[in-house]
Amino acid sequence: MSLCKCLFGRNAVTTLLCGMLWASTPAFAQSGAQVIRGINGSWEAYPQRAAGLGSTARGSLPAPAPVPEPPLKPEHLTKWKADQTRNAELTQKGLPPVTSGMACLPEGMPGMMQGTFPMEVLETPGQVTIIQEAYNQVRRIYLNEKLMAPEDAEPRFSGHSVGSWEGNTLVIRTVGVKDSVRFRNAPHSMNIRITERIRLVNDEFMENQVTIEDPEYLTKPWTWTWMYKRWPGYKIQEYVCEDNRYFEDPALGHQRLRVQ
Amino acid sequence: MSRHKYSTSGLAAVLAILALLAPAPGLAHHSFAGYEPELQIKFSGVVTEFTWANPHVYVRMDAPDKATGKTRRWLIECANPGILNRVGWRFNMVKAGDTITVIVSPLRNGEPAALLKQITLADGTKYSNGGPAGPATIE
Repeated sequence: MSLCKCLFGRNAVTTLLCGMLWASTPAFAQSGAQVIRGINGSWEAYPQRAAGLGSTARGSLPAPAPVPEPPLKPEHLTKWKADQTRNAELTQKGLPPVTSGMACLPEGMPGMMQGTFPMEVLETPGQVTIIQEAYNQVRRIYLNEKLMAPEDAEPRFSGHSVGSWEGNTLVIRTVGVKDSVRFRNAPHSMNIRITERIRLVNDEFMENQVTIEDPEYLTKPWTWTWMYKRWPGYKIQEYVCEDNRYFEDPALGHQRLRVQ
Repeated sequence: MSRHKYSTSGLAAVLAILALLAPAPGLAHHSFAGYEPELQIKFSGVVTEFTWANPHVYVRMDAPDKATGKTRRWLIECANPGILNRVGWRFNMVKAGDTITVIVSPLRNGEPAALLKQITLADGTKYSNGGPAGPATIE
């Protein structure tokens, strides 16, 4: 019996029977989707990057290890290290190098999963949606669907993601991240694959084990763990980058504020 | 006001504090390295424009220059609406014509723009720019 007929049965008995059948079926099983696993809600990066960016609540959990250097192939690592050194020197001199964020471009994947501002996770039948407040970034993770081949994936900032629950861990696989997107300034190809393993540590904390694979640029998978702290009741705010006043200095190429 | 006539007394202590309390709001958008990290100046003036928008909130204000006596128009860069809402600001709490007092770090290149550390409204209430403000190095 179709859902349509259930909802629009032509007589009272049919409607009643359909309603009983519907109510006795596990939540969301009607659509073949997974039940909700409790990662719904607002989260902030943990530990907080700085005062003012998040809630005033502090956590007791140890901070995860810092994201390691990208295991770039030697020919890319040399340039990456030189760029990092140069950028640090310029910043020290008050001449910070241009960034994509300066041009109001979003971080994309995986940076948006440890964005500057809080993020919201929405579990709905067949889909997990993650909204990062900064730049109104949204990624939709389709559950139990087949991951497309990287060559078929239209390049996007957040890529294309599918997910599945393995026990209490949500495993998300992502392809199709635009090769102009930079995380930690590391270059990548359109064959990049990102795997995330997200699970609740307890009611208060959520963990994300991130692995990036890109044989064109990396010598081995680049892995680290990010942590999030739940922020009960926090409502994600709008972020439209409408009033950018920064530009690239035409002479020196660094960030400049348009003062007048 | 002259950026070059400030006292250096206590500057080392302020520097040490600021090294720990480096401004972080706006990480997603751009660097704040263009501002003097070790210098905080305090002055009062009249708001000419208040823009509540992303990626950053801006205040334009006219303030008398202590060195020349002439009015100087400043652009004060604040954090973004999201951060400011989280530390208690409201989108309509500043308007043109208000007299405010600010503690700011000016641009290194001498242009009349600065990064907000703390704002005091006409009624005396104080708000941070997300990160904690250190003491003003010069007033």
